[in-house]
Amino acid sequence: MDSVIVLNGKERRFFAENVPNTLSSLLTQLDVLETTAVVEIDGRLVHPKDFSETLIRDGQRIELVRFMGGG
Amino acid sequence: MNITSNPPSPALLLREMGLDRDVNRWRDRLKGIGPTEVERALDSTPGFYHFEKLLALISPTAESYLEPMARMARDLTIRRFGRTIRLYAPLYLSSFCVNRCLYCGFNADTPFKRVRLSLRDALAEGLILNQSGIRDLLLVSGEDRAHVSVKFIEELCAHLRNHFCFVSIEVHRMNLKEYARLFEAGVEGVALYQETYDRDVYAKYHRQGPKADYDKRLSGPDDIAQAGMREVGLGVLLGLSDWRTETLALAEHVHHLIKSYWRTHVSISFPRLRPAHGVSKSQFPHLVLDKELVQMILALRLCFADVGLVLSTREPAHLRDHLIRLGITRMSAGSRTNPGGYQYPQQGPGQFQVDDDRSAKEIADMVRCHGLDPVWKDWDKAFL
Amino acid sequence: MDMLTLAGRTFRSRLLLGTGKFDSNETMTRALDASGAEIITVALRRVDLDNPQDDLLSSIDQKSYLLLPNTSGARDAEEAIRLSRMARIATGIEWVKLEVTPDPYYLLPDPVETLKAAKILVDEGFVVLPYINADPILSLKLQDAGTATVMPLGSPIGSNQGLHTRASLRIILEQARVPVIVDAGLGLPSHASEAMEMGADAVLVNTAIATAKDPLGMARAFKHGVIAGRLAFLGGPRAPHLQASSSSPLTGFLREE
Repeated sequence: MDSVIVLNGKERRFFAENVPNTLSSLLTQLDVLETTAVVEIDGRLVHPKDFSETLIRDGQRIELVRFMGGG
Repeated sequence: MNITSNPPSPALLLREMGLDRDVNRWRDRLKGIGPTEVERALDSTPGFYHFEKLLALISPTAESYLEPMARMARDLTIRRFGRTIRLYAPLYLSSFCVNRCLYCGFNADTPFKRVRLSLRDALAEGLILNQSGIRDLLLVSGEDRAHVSVKFIEELCAHLRNHFCFVSIEVHRMNLKEYARLFEAGVEGVALYQETYDRDVYAKYHRQGPKADYDKRLSGPDDIAQAGMREVGLGVLLGLSDWRTETLALAEHVHHLIKSYWRTHVSISFPRLRPAHGVSKSQFPHLVLDKELVQMILALRLCFADVGLVLSTREPAHLRDHLIRLGITRMSAGSRTNPGGYQYPQQGPGQFQVDDDRSAKEIADMVRCHGLDPVWKDWDKAFL
Repeated sequence: MDMLTLAGRTFRSRLLLGTGKFDSNETMTRALDASGAEIITVALRRVDLDNPQDDLLSSIDQKSYLLLPNTSGARDAEEAIRLSRMARIATGIEWVKLEVTPDPYYLLPDPVETLKAAKILVDEGFVVLPYINADPILSLKLQDAGTATVMPLGSPIGSNQGLHTRASLRIILEQARVPVIVDAGLGLPSHASEAMEMGADAVLVNTAIATAKDPLGMARAFKHGVIAGRLAFLGGPRAPHLQASSSSPLTGFLREE
């Protein structure tokens, strides 16, 4: 079954075979390094140690943030 | 991690700096200060405090620099305070006291007829002062908690605030809650002099009574500031211990308060031991000469641009007239130091002998002659 | 040795470096090395999903530098607090440079929201370094609230105009109970020197280095500028000499005794 999540403000559709179950697998799919990612799901911050256990569900709003250059 | 913004205590500060006992060790250091150090201190921006700068300014060598110090101090005072002097008068409420301070006319051991003013008498005194032009009042008392209680002062203030624009107190050391209550009642300033920062000297002169507790006394100004008082007055009784080391300790205390309580204005007074009923000059080996008093005032002004410098009526008239050109910002006028003394000048001994018996009006005229404007009221509550 | 102490940690360098506006991560890391800085600021932004490899942290050895996350982009206290919590959960770092800038043109800091956020963040255990306009009263209130420093601006971010706020900076420096880090608007090493000569504990520089023709050279120059300014301050600069005025003697009366 397909899944739609809002990722960084944009809708993202995952097709059945590629639906990531956990946050860790989502990050792998997106090619985002887990160790430097900051994640908020539906306004709640997820602790890095919980990434592999956090389930991704249809309709979630996910913010993927990381450190960038800044003054 | 919580960053604490609790200020370190003055007691700790003074102990770490070696200013609260064995102060003789500073003598050599002070003697060793030469013209280069004094000139460096004078070259630095006036009005900013550094310990080494004050050390140089109060050194024996700096005695030869009094005239340039005076010019700088005067210019700085005029820039920050204007060409003005605030005038105030003390209102003594009671000569009863439970302490036995050796230097004081109200010492519990000294036999004389003590006077306590009733609310009505106190108000009558206040009225006389008000009629003479005074709008800045200092309520003074021996340590007489039974009579001069927080409640008594509250009641007094309720009436006085209609006639005076600024009421401050110089009474026994109260606690934070009491100061907060008095602030609500209209008292805006508290004077609490350490008398001496030397612990051994303190113990010698304060034998018995609540005032014998050095640390309790020292922590008073912090409570006063925390309670919200707008002004806190510090001072040492000049003559008890070496004036130079007392000035160093006093400055550290002032600096601590300025840094820790930025909403509170600090002022320094310069009570100098004078003859009093039952107090003899021979007991006091550290009496301060006029030129030393001047050096102390100037040095402190050059280190603290915004601190009030207050002159009481302990000083003779001719000296006060000169001192007001050197950085003084507030002085008493037409004072009586015996309770009820405005109505009944002869009623009982005062806390100390007043050596300038000019009336408030005469003082004001003198001030004007020096090109200064006598300020009766500095703060008008009517607008708030 | 003269060390900078911030929230109980000591540092040799009094130059903090911002990592924004560089043309590449590589230039940034080389400039960082040339500057001698030990504390660097970083911002939090959404991951660019079209370019997921672009990762600043992978270029920085976190053992050698203290990462100071900033809350740039926050327009109010709530956003700043949210960003601070994000930074902390990811890295465990409790330090935050609090920046609340609702105005996107000048990026000037909002004093009201900054104070509001600072109080909450201090309560939550953060080490707060607030970026503010050079407002002495605001500085005092932030210190009362428990911030580890204050960071007043010299002139608006990116303007490179130097210490326009010097008169207010002097007051802040005089009254400060915590280290003062002058941040924003420092365009030349001489500006940084001036701030240090006045008594600032440290400075933060970003635009002037990142956008210089030779960022490495400029980083090196700022490093020396900060050191020079600090040495001058410790050496005890003298005030301009006051002219002696010829007025009648004020202390002549003492000689009459």
